[in-house]
Amino acid sequence: MTTDLHTLSGAYAVDALSGSEVSDFDTHLAQCASCRIEVAELREAAAQMGLAEAAPAPRPLKARVLEAADRTPQLPPRVSSTDELASRRDAREGRRSRWLAGVAAAALLVTGTAVGVASLSEDDEPVVAAGVSQVFEAPDHRVATLETDYGMVQVGRSDARGEMALDASRLAKLDDGDVYQVWAVRDGNAEPVTAITDKVAGAAMPLPREGTVVAITVEPVANPEVPSSEPIVSVDPRTV
Amino acid sequence: MGEPGLRLVGAGGGADIELLVGRIARGDAQAFEFLYDELSASVYGLARRVVRDPTRAEDVTQEVFLEVWRKAARFDRALGKAKTWVMTIAHRRAVDAVRRNEAAKRSDQQGAPDEVSHDEPGDAVVAAEEHGSVRRCMETLTDLQLESVRLAYFNGYTYSEVASLLDKPLPTIKTRMRDGLIRLRDCLEGSR
Repeated sequence: MTTDLHTLSGAYAVDALSGSEVSDFDTHLAQCASCRIEVAELREAAAQMGLAEAAPAPRPLKARVLEAADRTPQLPPRVSSTDELASRRDAREGRRSRWLAGVAAAALLVTGTAVGVASLSEDDEPVVAAGVSQVFEAPDHRVATLETDYGMVQVGRSDARGEMALDASRLAKLDDGDVYQVWAVRDGNAEPVTAITDKVAGAAMPLPREGTVVAITVEPVANPEVPSSEPIVSVDPRTV
Repeated sequence: MGEPGLRLVGAGGGADIELLVGRIARGDAQAFEFLYDELSASVYGLARRVVRDPTRAEDVTQEVFLEVWRKAARFDRALGKAKTWVMTIAHRRAVDAVRRNEAAKRSDQQGAPDEVSHDEPGDAVVAAEEHGSVRRCMETLTDLQLESVRLAYFNGYTYSEVASLLDKPLPTIKTRMRDGLIRLRDCLEGSR
């Protein structure tokens, strides 16, 4: 099976795999350094073929591209040390207050403790565990599916249980120990609720008070005091 | 040489793409503009070759540069050259566009599959010496290696579609594609 996968490096390097084959190969790449090197080299060879096709782009396109970039947020870098963390947090201070201020509301917060439901299965695959399922399977449950840059998140709500849940099992695996941090945001203040790591595929929590927005950011450490970047997604659970 | 550092001219005289991407990662809009100036023809030319339609090629080009803008901070030098990174994004986006389009067409037609459209040379800029070596290296591939690689790279076919089109077994096409690219890599490495 591994030999089989290895020979797909060429097809992978020229985007000639189907969707599910790509995820399988991605998983393989995470464990095969020689494959990663080979893919990088074959991509470079392929890129040379592509470069030979160069043709000037129509002039009006440039202004459209620059203008579009101007309104497009950038993804934060992966942080690898606490010093970098501090300076990047400072650099994003302005952006942070802007996104928090944009969240309307009153008092705060998520009361009680949120339960990050961890499940370490043998294959190391995140498993959506009991607390989260209870919300999604409640008779009165409502679900919303949200697209983020990192994949899909499902938000569930059960008024009967007075709980909401996030199913993060389809979010991309993060590198370098990064986590998905869940925040409860009211009145310009964000409180950390719980962190979703690669072992934890979701979180269930009591329904926050009205006017609270639940947001997810990518953070280098779990449950920091303040978010270090803009959310990948935010949702008012009352709208689910 | 003009203002030193303004266009981040590298040792070879061309712009230093790595430096530009590094600055773009920190939100430098001017560096982004310079990157566009440097690479828009490369991205657009490839997009145009793959998706054919010039308007769609423009859309793909815009998507590519926006992805570069969004993800510049995630670019990891250890994984390869910045220019290759951009061209890899360009290829993936172009192929996605072709496949979306084919899926839409197929659901309209629901009839006979499209004929194999073997690639024709586009009206690309006449190859400079730099591009001459890749054309020469492509000639070192066997017919099946070259055809497999071209159908995948320039037409956006998956390797199983290539196997159907060429009426060859899947494992054969898998290995031809890989061997062809390895040969191309080795040839290009040798001609440096």
